[in-house]
Amino acid sequence: MSDRKDSKTESYANTESAVSRRVLLQGVAGVAALAASPTLAFAQAAAKEAPELARMVAENRLPPLDQRLPRNPMVVTPHETVGRYGGTLRRGLRGSSDHNGILRMVGNQGLVRWNLEFTQVLPNVAERWDVNATATEFVFHLRQGMKWSDGKPFTADDVVFAIEDCTKNAELYRSVPSVLTIGGKPAVVTKVSDTAVKFAFEAPYAMFLENLATPLGQHPTLFPKHYCSQFHPKYNSGLDAQVRAANLSDWPTLFRARCGDIEIPSRWGNAEKPTLDPWVVAEAYTGGATRVTMRRNPYFWQVDTNGAQLPYIDQLTMNISQDVESLMLDTISGRIDIQDRHIDSLQNKPTLSQNMQRGGYRLVELVASGAQQCMIYLNMTHKDPAMRAMFANKEFRQALSLGIDRKEIIDLVYLGQSEPYQTGPRPGHPWYHEKLSRQFTSHDPAQANAILDRLGYRRGPDRMRLRPDGQKVFFAIDVIPTLYPDAVDTLELVKRHWAALGVDIKVNTIERALYYTRGDNNDHDAATWPGPGGLDPILDPRDYLAQHPQGSRYAIPWTQWYVSGGKEGQEPPESQKRRMKLFDDARATPDIAKRGQIVKEMLDLTADAFETIGVCLAVNSFGIAKNNLRNVPLKMPQAWSWPNPGPALPQQFFFTA
Amino acid sequence: MLRFIVSRLLWMIPSLVALSFLSFVLIELPPGDYVTTYIATLAASNEVVDQNTAADLRARFGLDQPMIVQYFKWIVGIVTEGNFGLSFEWQQPVSELIWERMSLTLLLTVSTLLLTWGLALPIGVFSAVKKYSVGDYIATFFSFLGLAIPSFLLALVLMYVAAVKFGQDVGGLFSEPYVAAPWSFGKVLDLLSHLWVPVVILAVSGTASLIRVMRANMLDELNKPYVTTARAKGLSEFALLVKYPLRVALNPFISTIAWLLPNLVSGSVIVAIVLSLPTAGPMLLQSLMSQDMYLAGAFVLLICALTLLGSLVSDILLALVDPRIRLE
Repeated sequence: MSDRKDSKTESYANTESAVSRRVLLQGVAGVAALAASPTLAFAQAAAKEAPELARMVAENRLPPLDQRLPRNPMVVTPHETVGRYGGTLRRGLRGSSDHNGILRMVGNQGLVRWNLEFTQVLPNVAERWDVNATATEFVFHLRQGMKWSDGKPFTADDVVFAIEDCTKNAELYRSVPSVLTIGGKPAVVTKVSDTAVKFAFEAPYAMFLENLATPLGQHPTLFPKHYCSQFHPKYNSGLDAQVRAANLSDWPTLFRARCGDIEIPSRWGNAEKPTLDPWVVAEAYTGGATRVTMRRNPYFWQVDTNGAQLPYIDQLTMNISQDVESLMLDTISGRIDIQDRHIDSLQNKPTLSQNMQRGGYRLVELVASGAQQCMIYLNMTHKDPAMRAMFANKEFRQALSLGIDRKEIIDLVYLGQSEPYQTGPRPGHPWYHEKLSRQFTSHDPAQANAILDRLGYRRGPDRMRLRPDGQKVFFAIDVIPTLYPDAVDTLELVKRHWAALGVDIKVNTIERALYYTRGDNNDHDAATWPGPGGLDPILDPRDYLAQHPQGSRYAIPWTQWYVSGGKEGQEPPESQKRRMKLFDDARATPDIAKRGQIVKEMLDLTADAFETIGVCLAVNSFGIAKNNLRNVPLKMPQAWSWPNPGPALPQQFFFTA
Repeated sequence: MLRFIVSRLLWMIPSLVALSFLSFVLIELPPGDYVTTYIATLAASNEVVDQNTAADLRARFGLDQPMIVQYFKWIVGIVTEGNFGLSFEWQQPVSELIWERMSLTLLLTVSTLLLTWGLALPIGVFSAVKKYSVGDYIATFFSFLGLAIPSFLLALVLMYVAAVKFGQDVGGLFSEPYVAAPWSFGKVLDLLSHLWVPVVILAVSGTASLIRVMRANMLDELNKPYVTTARAKGLSEFALLVKYPLRVALNPFISTIAWLLPNLVSGSVIVAIVLSLPTAGPMLLQSLMSQDMYLAGAFVLLICALTLLGSLVSDILLALVDPRIRLE
């Protein structure tokens, strides 16, 4: 196997050096005309595969195209036009924990995928699937003759190995990844035939396909059995020696170092591991690396509408910069072909717009998938009973919401690019909920003051309000300035608006790890975070019910109650319990229309409870794409569940001549 | 002399144990742990870690154990097997990661040092001997300028000008085709053509301060009676300078060797980050920021060991150069 790999690596060297080496060889060997002409003729006649692959086929170093493609390859309709082969695409990575920057570009090859609009699940590795009526059994039909990037067949055995032997192995995964679990029980995966594999669940799991289309649903296609089984004790008894030779402590560490996992750096740290991705690692993402390069997968299983094998682009080069500013410099001087990560902050937009001409790029609009730009979570389960009573009062929250001058914030902080909003699916989404999204968003200090007066928060000598126990109405809102500088600006304005009501807050700018620790321990008075669930309401409903132990920051103990099935945390009020039930029902309902009704019922309750205070609709972001890079949609979602730009299919991007 | 060296070496053992413990505690001090930082980093790109995975990671890396247990596991591994542990982030052995970057770091630091000394010593001596001459004023002006400009700012400005005005790339140590190429004559030339940028940037502030130190030291010595005596004996002005006052003025330099060795690892972190240099500095900072305990711990331990070694070396050198110093 290592022989094959070497020859592949060599012939993939970037075009210039490959050409110069060939010229050199021709000179030495003197058989130039004989060797080169059939290759050229073939490439011109067919052009169903990249010229370099055609050359390798002609030299008998690679099987012909029809043997490399599955019998029924996935046909991709190009976004604008059928492309041409060639070119190197440049992107930037940050030095640490930026592995998902690679995942987003190449690693989106799960059993199923999202459409461009982020509304529908489409076939991908699986060409079709059958679901039973109760949504407990899913049979995926794989593509016959499909191959891993090393040419070995991809079959149902690989999927069974990945789930049954890997994710369900207690040493490798202490608990089975949650995408593969429903009702506390993991899926049982069995092989039906070489090209059919069945996932069986104990309880209905209607959201399984949607979850599979997200990055966290990639396990079924992550581990090639023929390669990864050599690091698994079930298949290799001599593993201890290998572990010692690699200077590692145990086999799960070795397995992870070689085969990776969905989102750890070592997924891209081993150039030998076969994948199903359009490009495969050539220079790996390791601790000492200064760049990552990837070359086309000669066995990639997708074609364009002309039947030409994808990807169009030969190679990806991702330079690792330690500093985001140098990434900006690279971008404005035109040395980056497509990028949004790390440069998409609002402050960078003017600089990037001004330099469009010089850098030769255009701006791509990224539709925010979130609902709320800056959600304020008052801790309704605060450890201090007086604070808890204050925050748990709906009218108090209502008064605070009415006290915010949202128009001023939108104009000053977000340059007018948003609208007053609470939470809920974004306008235009089929589940958009008018009341949930717009209630209490008008600026009405008179009414706010009246409510606070009525609740008994009298003004003290300095015009600031006092709680019934005589303490000042004062609380701190946690915010991470390095992550969300705009939230700090917003909160400073909110502080001024609320001071006019007689409510004093502290904008508590803290470091991110501390932010999480305070949240986990339920130590915070209040916190801000962008509110998700705008385009993916059912995948991330943390603001609609207390469901996310790190995210539903208005009541972390309630989420613990929900996640642990009532064993830990605190028992939530009736409205929450009903929503938890409805959410579970919605996830178990395969019929979209019925699911929509259940979700509406849930959102009605959320709107009545009014737990979180929103400011404005999540602001769209942006990225850049070079002018000569085509087939890039000018508008796409920005999300983790829709890991942009992956679902826009970078394999069909191409460079014009 | 030998007894002195041996006893100093023996003293280093308890010092290192104490230092390693202290550094481990310091790295543990910030709130949260590697897993919290990891989750927070991903959250910055709106990415989510599977809820089951977070607990898994903590247990797998032993982060759920008390700190003292974590420390002992680590230190026992180092002492008994020379195993510095596994980097959480990269799933690679720590020693592998550190050595991978050491050679280029060494090259960069040594070149910077040579340039700094090569410039600062003669200029410092010159501006002391020709005190208040035009040359002295020029040297003084530029050395204060060099002291005043932070080197990372210099690097940023240089990069901006190169990128925006000339469309050139000054980051990194190799140009595109050579990054992954095996070592060859062409690659060495390429390295040299890139190396001067960071070397000059790094040398600027060092040179500036050394010029000032050297000038002050020399001025102290130049009026001493032994200089007059030597001059009276008829020594040429140059031979006189090199033979007597320069040797004495060099003492402070030799004392600074103690800081040189640890600087190999931790020096120039910010400049290296700005210029995207593949040296050890950025990796150290990264490991500290992501709370990658064992990688950071190994770095800190290495720096401590080098500091101790460096001070020993500079003590020995000082004794050799200046006979007035005793080893008791």
